[in-house]
Amino acid sequence: MDRWHTFTALLGKELMLEYRQRYAIGGILLYVCSMVFVVYVAAVKIQPQLWNVLFWLIFLFASVNAVVKSFVQESGARQLYYYQLADAEMVLLAKMVYNALLLMVLGALALVMFSVVAGHPVRDIRLFLGTLILGSVGFSIALTFVSAISAGAHNSATLMAVLSFPVLLPILMTLIRLSAISLALMQDTSYWRDILNLVAIDAILITLTFVLFPYVWRD
Amino acid sequence: MWWKASAVFVLLSVLSAGFLVPLHPGLVGNSPTTITTGQAFTMSLTGYNTFFTRSADSMRIWMTHPSGYALAAHQLRVLNNNDMEASFTVPTVLPEQRDAMTFHLLTDDPLHGTMTLVGAIQVQAGVVDDFLQDERLDGWRNTSVTGLHPQEGFRFVNLPINYESIRNLFFHVPMWMVMFVLLMLSVWHSVRYLGAPSAQTDARAEAYAETGLLFGGLGLLTGMLWANYTWGAPWSNDIKQLMTAVALLIYVAYFILRTSFDEPEKAARIAAVYNIFAFASLIPLIYIVPRLFSSLHPGGEGSPVFNREDLNPNMRIIFYPAIIGWTLLGLWAANLSIRLKNLETLHLNR
Repeated sequence: MDRWHTFTALLGKELMLEYRQRYAIGGILLYVCSMVFVVYVAAVKIQPQLWNVLFWLIFLFASVNAVVKSFVQESGARQLYYYQLADAEMVLLAKMVYNALLLMVLGALALVMFSVVAGHPVRDIRLFLGTLILGSVGFSIALTFVSAISAGAHNSATLMAVLSFPVLLPILMTLIRLSAISLALMQDTSYWRDILNLVAIDAILITLTFVLFPYVWRD
Repeated sequence: MWWKASAVFVLLSVLSAGFLVPLHPGLVGNSPTTITTGQAFTMSLTGYNTFFTRSADSMRIWMTHPSGYALAAHQLRVLNNNDMEASFTVPTVLPEQRDAMTFHLLTDDPLHGTMTLVGAIQVQAGVVDDFLQDERLDGWRNTSVTGLHPQEGFRFVNLPINYESIRNLFFHVPMWMVMFVLLMLSVWHSVRYLGAPSAQTDARAEAYAETGLLFGGLGLLTGMLWANYTWGAPWSNDIKQLMTAVALLIYVAYFILRTSFDEPEKAARIAAVYNIFAFASLIPLIYIVPRLFSSLHPGGEGSPVFNREDLNPNMRIIFYPAIIGWTLLGLWAANLSIRLKNLETLHLNR
């Protein structure tokens, strides 16, 4: 019960922080909008195949930009304060859950924007949204952890991209495959196996982050 | 010391056997490849590593079909060691009521053993009626294919498309295994580092990762060289090629990460964490994702080249020592790198 309380308080803190720094989320939302628009202007007519790839690329880049600030935005002293008040794992979990929610919102926004300007080829919207949710969770786990790793480094923003892209690739390929099924570009009745793979990758990543995080935050 | 000597010995044996043992004789081409029923025709056959002149009298040739039809050549003329001509008389109708059927070429003699050319001839039906029902089967079973000689001697299998490039098995495939062994050792030392930090353990983790990356690069290069001749291009966006490129990217990122911190202890700790994290995400990369997409690699779905059953015992005798030899060489290289790093640390501390 006490842990739950800590968790909600930390999650509330993340939300409050985001609300106070509205320029940050505003920047990310505008980033998504301008990227969608640039893609639309550059590609003119977007086929479903291209739509699928571009959507996930936009989502990937927006996610990296949204999560990069996770551990960088707060000073080392303030982080130390959190770690004294609560378990380090709780701080990480709260950030992950918050980032997952943020990525879902970003994904939904990207979907709406993309559907308005580039057409709406999604046939199976439930599968697509499910894919988006699983993808947000996976991206959030990997990116939050990589953000924690690269927080103390010199070139943390570049490092974040370099470190996370190869790690995200298996998730991204499974996502593109699943969403191709939901766009009816591919016929595959056993797509639950891809979903299972995605869940398995997420599970591996989350277990590892919790095992390894104690070695990252201690400074 | 003894293991370095045995590494050299095993690798020298693998190199010489891998390059010097010849391939089994095999058929590599025939012309024409399309014929029509009801005609007599002469087919020229090209062999590789063959001595047709020595077996001109004992050679038998058939056109065969998986359903059991066989048509023997009635006349044979050997031109030279690698070329011969066989004359067939094709019955008026196909054995089954179809527009066309694909036949294999099968030759047999005591010297070369049995040689096949799968899917060599397409026979088109000149007559599509079924009034010659009796002739259908009789004409296509003019001889039974019996008394075949197995291919003998210590030689490698001669497979279409692969041919001599099958020797790459001893050089390309072990590279991957060595890469994995070295990367696993690197991760093991990273785990040990997190348990009990010491500069020595970190140097080991780094050295194993470096050497693993080197072998990964060599695996990619030997694979591309082979793919250039079998797939027609060094890079085909095959899923395994992509995954490997990503795996190499992960470890390049690991080395960039190492240089991005001021304090060496923090760099070592964070690098150890990323090493474990990246290796774990490499597992779905190597084992799960390639199964979702079809691969051109031998053994893969729709692969035109060899699979597990084709790996004949003669190749295994060289393949298994090759794995051991290359692994020992990899460990040796990593060992040298560790010693170099230790010397550098000593030099810096002095």
